[in-house]
Amino acid sequence: MSITLDQLTKRYQGAPVVNDVSLEIGDGEFFVLLGPSGSGKSTLLRAIAGLSGLDHGCIALHGRDVTHVSARQRGVGLVFQNYALFGHMTVAENIEFALRVRRVGAAERRRRRQELLRLVALEGLDERLPAQLSGGQQQRVAVARALAHKPEVLLLDEPFGALDAKIREGLRRTIREVQRELGITTILVTHDQEEAFAMADRIGVMNFGRLLETGKPQDLYTRPATRFVATFLGAANLILARQGADGPRWGAGAAPAHGSSLGTGAREREVVAVVRPEEIELARSRETLSCTNYLARGVVEEVLFTGALERARIRLDEAHDAPILAHANGDGAGAVLLEATRAQFEQRAFAISPGQSVTIGVRRAHVLATPLSSFTVCAPSSSDVESLAGHPLLVDLSSRMKVRIRRRVEPMLAAPAASHEAVAPLSGTTVIAVHGDATSDVTWLLEHGGEEILILPEHASSPRRVLIHWTDESARSATLAVSASILRHLAAEAIYVDVLPEHTPAAARSFGIRALLDARSEARAAHGLEIRTEMRFGVAARALQQRLDEAPGHMLIVGIASASQLTNELAALLARPRWPLLLVHREREAPAHSRSAA
Amino acid sequence: MSDGQPTVLPGFGLTLGFTTFFLSVVVLLPLAALVLLAASTPLHQFLDAVASPRALASYRLSFGGALLAACINLVFGFLIAWTLVRYEFPGRRLMDAVIDMPFALPTAVSGIALTAVFSTNGWLGRYLAEFTGIHVAYTRIGIILAMTLIGMPFAVRTMQPALLEVRRDLEDAAETLGAGRWCVFRRVVVPAVLPALLTGFTLAFARALGEYGSVIFISGNLPLKTEITPLLIVIHLEEFDYRGAAALGSVMLAASFVILLAINLLQAWGRGRRVRREQ
Repeated sequence: MSITLDQLTKRYQGAPVVNDVSLEIGDGEFFVLLGPSGSGKSTLLRAIAGLSGLDHGCIALHGRDVTHVSARQRGVGLVFQNYALFGHMTVAENIEFALRVRRVGAAERRRRRQELLRLVALEGLDERLPAQLSGGQQQRVAVARALAHKPEVLLLDEPFGALDAKIREGLRRTIREVQRELGITTILVTHDQEEAFAMADRIGVMNFGRLLETGKPQDLYTRPATRFVATFLGAANLILARQGADGPRWGAGAAPAHGSSLGTGAREREVVAVVRPEEIELARSRETLSCTNYLARGVVEEVLFTGALERARIRLDEAHDAPILAHANGDGAGAVLLEATRAQFEQRAFAISPGQSVTIGVRRAHVLATPLSSFTVCAPSSSDVESLAGHPLLVDLSSRMKVRIRRRVEPMLAAPAASHEAVAPLSGTTVIAVHGDATSDVTWLLEHGGEEILILPEHASSPRRVLIHWTDESARSATLAVSASILRHLAAEAIYVDVLPEHTPAAARSFGIRALLDARSEARAAHGLEIRTEMRFGVAARALQQRLDEAPGHMLIVGIASASQLTNELAALLARPRWPLLLVHREREAPAHSRSAA
Repeated sequence: MSDGQPTVLPGFGLTLGFTTFFLSVVVLLPLAALVLLAASTPLHQFLDAVASPRALASYRLSFGGALLAACINLVFGFLIAWTLVRYEFPGRRLMDAVIDMPFALPTAVSGIALTAVFSTNGWLGRYLAEFTGIHVAYTRIGIILAMTLIGMPFAVRTMQPALLEVRRDLEDAAETLGAGRWCVFRRVVVPAVLPALLTGFTLAFARALGEYGSVIFISGNLPLKTEITPLLIVIHLEEFDYRGAAALGSVMLAASFVILLAINLLQAWGRGRRVRREQ
């Protein structure tokens, strides 16, 4: 491995800017770090170059631990967005700088300089000053300069940011050619997904300081694991669907014959499906739809001609049951429209215009593995529902996660004693407010099929630290999945807290440590989430309580296997929570039936 | 030259005319009068005025002191400018404003203030004299101190914008290329701000040379020891010896002109070296 990053964390004023990033980059690989501005990608690059320190973690280049090695001895080449050429030196002097510093002889410097200038196609410009060159030429000089001392790793920090489109294209090609010719391991930082697709062997997507997913461009585009990557890499419609045994179902056409009742083994789960605009088919009627997967009917709102493609925005008919959560360019406000792009041949086959009613089919959909599909705000009266739906943390989370907040008035919550009437099953994440003791509300929700329950105290803000705990191993996977889903959208650190009984013998402690390691590796392997681990001793509820009281800004995620655990082991936590608490409930699986997998 | 393109202020002729007029009235005419007056002085009288031992001693003090003060300002002015540009700390804005104080203060006030602090019974000079035996007020040290104080804002204010131009990226780039701190400073930072350094030095020097108000308070004005040329000129004036004053004045004028010209030539040569490389 050329570059190995292990749990890098960098905080700025207490908040993590780079959050537990681990990554391995192979020899000669062209790796692109992609993310919106402020996602920590440049900070990460500077940390690799040795220009900014770290709070935690290790960096190894070609197997050599360089965490505490200064920038000048790391042997990396760095190219900046604004070129950072030395204005008082000629092109030749700029390129030879690294060699001059190393006291390389004049003849050798000359030879190397000419070689590099040939490589970046700037021969004969040796004696020019940077100010006399165009932006593209200056950046070529910067690349040549960064390569002069034969670095093991080349780092490029938004190198095309200041260039216009035409020049960008040419420089991209040059950099890719140089990189291939030298076989040098390269990391490029950019916020431009098109650039990432054009150049990368592998892409890593960052958001809120976390490295969310890494993979080949093609894989990340067709099979993203998270909704952030789905919407950040190209345009995407996120559609709420129900995952049955034979793929996602949506709309009235695919509605299950009789509503999925509680207790049946193969209960359909609510999921989020990613549908790329180019995978949407428009037709006059269901009969003329060539793909089999009917979504809904809708009205064309807007048609934009963009040359090769036509972009249409379509409002779905009210009557059906397939809410669109968001698409990449969604502004969040008002109803979200379905976005479709159509090639020339489709336009010729079926021309559309605004106001026209169309039938919509889906050629291909990708179901996200994320367990958090929607938030349903539950309260005894409609005014309580409204005030809870406006809770800043919930609004924040739902807009970041592109999840819709549903509202549900549930008078039963106020009088849980009379709870044996028929109630529509709960789906998605149920959100309730805390009014004193939350135990009875939670118990009622669990009895009625609630699987994820978010309990919000009145004054909860965006957490900085998320503690994760589960009382039963069977809830582990689900808890980790939910935690990962939440943490991808928060600038918060994740800490798994395991609690062992007070007087655990030494032999049993090693089991505890193994559980910690298992949790960490599962989080990393299955969700790409890096978590810190801690071990505490005593009664679970009290140990967690102590940990939570150490500092403000916590959130707690607890996995449970049965409702009885709440009333017994965790009663103290529910008595009057002062921090957001997310309960993940998974019954121990009966071996008889298998749950339909995504 | 006007190249035919319209500019914001109209009338090349008008603006150039005003520029010439202003320069003539404020600079050229008075200087010409001075030179004429000096030139009409009989030679022996001229020589008596400009080459007396007292005059020669005052040249040494004025030019030597100003040169030394400019050198001090070059180094410490750079440090101050660097601190103000590079670091963010509480009180930075206040410090930035305080730099300009010597601009605004009547120089006599600075002179009085310095004397009050550094005289043998001033609250700092007392201990200096007692513990180190160094007397600041009424010695050459005091003169240089006053000249430094007066020239400091000129040095700082010319270097500040140049240092702002030297972006952190440049240093980061040099560091990743393998340069140590000293090397980055010597090869990257200094060359980039060299023109500003020279300008700052020149301005501080010129200001120190012409300084009168603050120096006469702290210098003690002993002939042959702590008497600067501007003071000598004033003494001539007080004796109604206008020709002597003009003679001394023209010597100062000539000397400052030569020094400023030399520094300007040095800068032009530096620029020229770059331009030649471009071809």
